[in-house]
Amino acid sequence: MIKLTIDGKTVEVNEGTTVLQAAEMADIYIPTLCNHPQLTPYGGCRLCMVDIEGARTLQPSCTLPVAEGMVIRTNTEKVLSARKFVLTLIFSERNHFCMYCPVSDGDCELQNRAYDEEMTHWDLQPNWLPFEVDASHPLIVLDNNRCILCRRCVRACGDLVGNYTLGFEERGADSLLVADNSVPLGESTCISCGTCVQICPTGALIDRKSAYQGKETEVDHHLGVCVECSVGCQRDILTRDNRLVRLEGDWEAELNHGLLCEKGRFFPTEEDRSRILSPMIRENGKLRTTTWDEALKVISESLSESDKLAALASTRLPFEDLSLFKAIFKDNLQATLVTTIEDQAPMSLQTQVAEKLGSTIEHSLGNLKDTDAVLSLGADLIEDHQVAGFFIKRQLLNGTKLFVVDSHKNAMSEFALRTQSIEAGEEGEFLVSLRSALENNTKETKIGQIIQALSEAEKPCIIYGGTFAKNADDLTLGVLVEIAEKLNASLISIQGKANTFAATQLGLTQQPFFEKIQSAYIVLGDEEPTQKLTKALEKVPFVVTQAAYNSQVTANADVVLPVTMWAEQSGTYVNLEGRKQKAIKALDAPEGVLSSYDALMKLADVLQMTPDLF
Amino acid sequence: MTKPTVASDWLCGCAGCHMSILDIDERILQIVELVDLRSTPITDLKEPDEQGVTVGILEGGINNTYNEEVAKKMRARCKILVSLGDCAVFGGVPAMRNFFGEKAALKRAYIDAESNDAEAAIPTNLELAEMTHVRAVHEVVPVDLFIPGCPPDPDVIFYALSELAQGRIPEIKDEKLHWH
Repeated sequence: MIKLTIDGKTVEVNEGTTVLQAAEMADIYIPTLCNHPQLTPYGGCRLCMVDIEGARTLQPSCTLPVAEGMVIRTNTEKVLSARKFVLTLIFSERNHFCMYCPVSDGDCELQNRAYDEEMTHWDLQPNWLPFEVDASHPLIVLDNNRCILCRRCVRACGDLVGNYTLGFEERGADSLLVADNSVPLGESTCISCGTCVQICPTGALIDRKSAYQGKETEVDHHLGVCVECSVGCQRDILTRDNRLVRLEGDWEAELNHGLLCEKGRFFPTEEDRSRILSPMIRENGKLRTTTWDEALKVISESLSESDKLAALASTRLPFEDLSLFKAIFKDNLQATLVTTIEDQAPMSLQTQVAEKLGSTIEHSLGNLKDTDAVLSLGADLIEDHQVAGFFIKRQLLNGTKLFVVDSHKNAMSEFALRTQSIEAGEEGEFLVSLRSALENNTKETKIGQIIQALSEAEKPCIIYGGTFAKNADDLTLGVLVEIAEKLNASLISIQGKANTFAATQLGLTQQPFFEKIQSAYIVLGDEEPTQKLTKALEKVPFVVTQAAYNSQVTANADVVLPVTMWAEQSGTYVNLEGRKQKAIKALDAPEGVLSSYDALMKLADVLQMTPDLF
Repeated sequence: MTKPTVASDWLCGCAGCHMSILDIDERILQIVELVDLRSTPITDLKEPDEQGVTVGILEGGINNTYNEEVAKKMRARCKILVSLGDCAVFGGVPAMRNFFGEKAALKRAYIDAESNDAEAAIPTNLELAEMTHVRAVHEVVPVDLFIPGCPPDPDVIFYALSELAQGRIPEIKDEKLHWH
């Protein structure tokens, strides 16, 4: 432990702590710009300078490790004057025009730091060198005029996301933030995760869609789980006047610590489907609007007639909705088919299988953050479950080894040490040979080499998805658990949508089929139905659907009930680790639109199901 | 004792500063209890009274000979002249034209613009004002009070107007100089 004094306050901290961190622990505020709690200190902006007794000159507190007996002052005349000077230099280096910048008045850290120092202008004439604005990217604008060269974006793109798209070109006053080898951002290797936009302290990186839509002082925040996949990142939904403004990652979240992928941050803001605002029934071949009562009457009459009923629900819905869905259609109506609209939800839960086998292996995504060897069995984290992929990608330059085994083309092969192709359908066989290679300590074969690397690793991880996960029954999972046990590796299943695992918990795992089905009840929510489902439903004589948006399924349906979309509903979500998280209602639904849950309750009511049957 | 009088006009501006004046919303009723609002570009009277007004407010900078005339007239007919907004105080956005010059600006707009047809030509009617270098108001006439902002915050404008209405020169500093 090291003892030091800051502004007269004595603190005791561990060796290796920086002066800035020590000050934070002592509740002493030191302004910064290039620093960020999620990034390693950079020491570039020089705003955090402090006075150290005996030192030749002021020192940046963010990179300076504490030393025994240090006496630090953070508010001397010299320090305050240095801060003003640093800010003056930053302002005069580029073209900072606050009047038309979207982050002016509250959302600009540069402006805020200047106001904190009671600056209203700066005394150095800018050089008026014009810098380029890169607006080639559909979602992000890169304006070098507003850049303060803090490199937060570069560090985030590399150290947090592992994509390494952003970088700097030239030096000194000519320094330019560029993508790849200086190509337009829209033509670069950028994966549109938007982390750079969120971490940028000024208006140099702007989210095009939400610019000028609402400042920090004008928006409301709603923290909840993202519902775009089964990773379950914590997300902040920013709204204003019942309108979605922007989606941001929660920096304080344990799992994703501020990271989101394109699907979680941007896709939901680009919704362009038309909304269903009223119940509809088919009359004389055409759909017409009607009341909830009439629509429910039609449903109850038709459902009681048919006995070959198929009920399918979207796995984007909360656990509570899926639970009620199951209670109505499986427990009460005993429909022929009660399942999800997914092609194949996992049969069993890995955690349950492991428990049964008495295994103590770990299943958490967090283990991907400090792993030194990863074996991916069919999991492609470039397209889906991207944030889990970020955890792996960002460690590859630190020596973490990646091995990929897949029957399909896997984009992660690009950075894998070894890729092994197998034939589709041979996943089970492969696992068995993997297990025996382990038991026999085989080294010569390709599999043997992979095993060798995993055995030598300190914190290996095995992730499985794609065709390995689709066909995973108790037997397959048992083999996987055994292999993980032997390698002392974490085993993580990378598959599914927001609540796929909740569906599995509820037993909604049947593969959808529609032969001989007379009527279908599709609890679609806001999900876009697949071509496969749409075509299959065309042959079903009577189709009811609860949906938020118009689609071919709703256009072909006999009864349509309008329900909420993701931001208008709350509920519990189970991610791929089995972790329960909550999605929070951030917007009020349009008049007459009910939540999927309430719509199902109305159905239960009209079918005369009493609550205590649930 | 007659109420102090206030007149305003706009020069090379976008009218945003006047919109910001309107953004003081119902507080304008408090203002007109204390002052007489005379000519403005958004009310009936268009020129400051010949006998003069107490406070003259100018939005926009000077970009042609007509702006020069209006500014000089306002200066002659008011006791306290206020430059309202960045264009009046500094030159503002239109001042970017100074990097290119009037000739190039006219050519770009009247000859080279993509929407011009084959008969495009720079207007030469003698009654038109002559384009000049873009300047702040105080580069043409002396100014007594500067309220920067693009536009200035309505709260700052209300503060300034109420001070002027009560015969005081407002102090525009600290928070009142922050971007909003």
